[in-house]
Amino acid sequence: MRMRWRLIPLLLGLALLPEPARAIDLKDMILDPGHLAPTENSVAVHPGDMAPDFTLPGLLLLPGANRAEQRTFRLSEYRGQKNVVLSFVPAAFTPVCSDQWPGYQLAQEIFEEADAVILGISVDNLPSLNAWVTEMHGLWFPVLSDFWPHGAVAKAYGLLRANGTAERAIIIIDKQGVVRYAEITDINTRPDLGHIAAALGKLGGPKAR
Amino acid sequence: MKRLAAVLAMLLSLAATPALAGPKVGDVLPDLTVKAQLNPSEAAYLGLPEKTQGVRLSQIKADVLIVEIFSMYCPRCQAEALAVNRMFARLAASPQGARIKFIGIGAGNSPFEVEFFRKKYQIPMPLIPDADYVLHKVFMSVGTPSFFVLKPGRSGLAVLFFHEGVFQDEDAFYEQLLRAATAR
Repeated sequence: MRMRWRLIPLLLGLALLPEPARAIDLKDMILDPGHLAPTENSVAVHPGDMAPDFTLPGLLLLPGANRAEQRTFRLSEYRGQKNVVLSFVPAAFTPVCSDQWPGYQLAQEIFEEADAVILGISVDNLPSLNAWVTEMHGLWFPVLSDFWPHGAVAKAYGLLRANGTAERAIIIIDKQGVVRYAEITDINTRPDLGHIAAALGKLGGPKAR
Repeated sequence: MKRLAAVLAMLLSLAATPALAGPKVGDVLPDLTVKAQLNPSEAAYLGLPEKTQGVRLSQIKADVLIVEIFSMYCPRCQAEALAVNRMFARLAASPQGARIKFIGIGAGNSPFEVEFFRKKYQIPMPLIPDADYVLHKVFMSVGTPSFFVLKPGRSGLAVLFFHEGVFQDEDAFYEQLLRAATAR
């Protein structure tokens, strides 16, 4: 009998052994806020309007790069150079946002065929965005921080929610700085890439001026 | 001895990983018709009319159905797409290939997104868009990618095998799928 009870510390030790280590990835870091009101605002810019200019700090972390390039991005720097797709997302490390931009990573050719660059915009601060994009293993387009003054650019476009996050929205701006497409989509789902591709197709391709 | 067994049981229960709610072998998923347009080769592969506007999974001419729940937006699905293509080809060429059919369901993906994913990775298997997550809910809102081996029957689709997340070893995973699909 004594021998059996001597087994208990051994069994206890085995039972309380830590689980084998497993790789933690982006999926494990996501906080699901649950179902949210699909939209709260109406977009403040419309096709034909000049897009409100802005300057935001941002980073570009290309896939395979060890470190992000940090700089200030100004919307008007693309004037005459590139069509611009502003992709506003509500917040870093949330479910839908965390696969929307990796999807655009896969669909890079759709944007390039339209001579367009994406500017991803979130109200998170730059270190958080850096961590988030690092977990996505990089993106071909820059990600901008609309953190301070908090959500000022989102507000200018009519996209700032009452809780300080942004609507999920796509704004397409041509090389003259004119809004050509503006849509707030359901915050709980991704915007249909088909709608974005169709809107980009109307811009006229790489030679569009 | 009984006391020792009780202590052991208690310790093992302490160590047990909490069960995750999700599909398990033996579950029966409801069968339903979803809107989908099949191209001629997809229709021929599934044994369904070419001009069908809706697909009912139980009407697919197969004894067993393997279903991948994927998303164009899911980096893991992107990373595994070519491996899934290879598994599809191996399965089709296997002696059991005629009675086991393999399809993909694009959770939350529009027809455009599914078609983009298909072209990007030259995916040979039928892919069904599920933009409104109707099928995804039937499949218990699993993460992507997820793989099911299903036995269609009168009461629905019986789960023979379920795997959520990436598979580490392509050959071993293929053997798992095949074993589940051919088990009697």
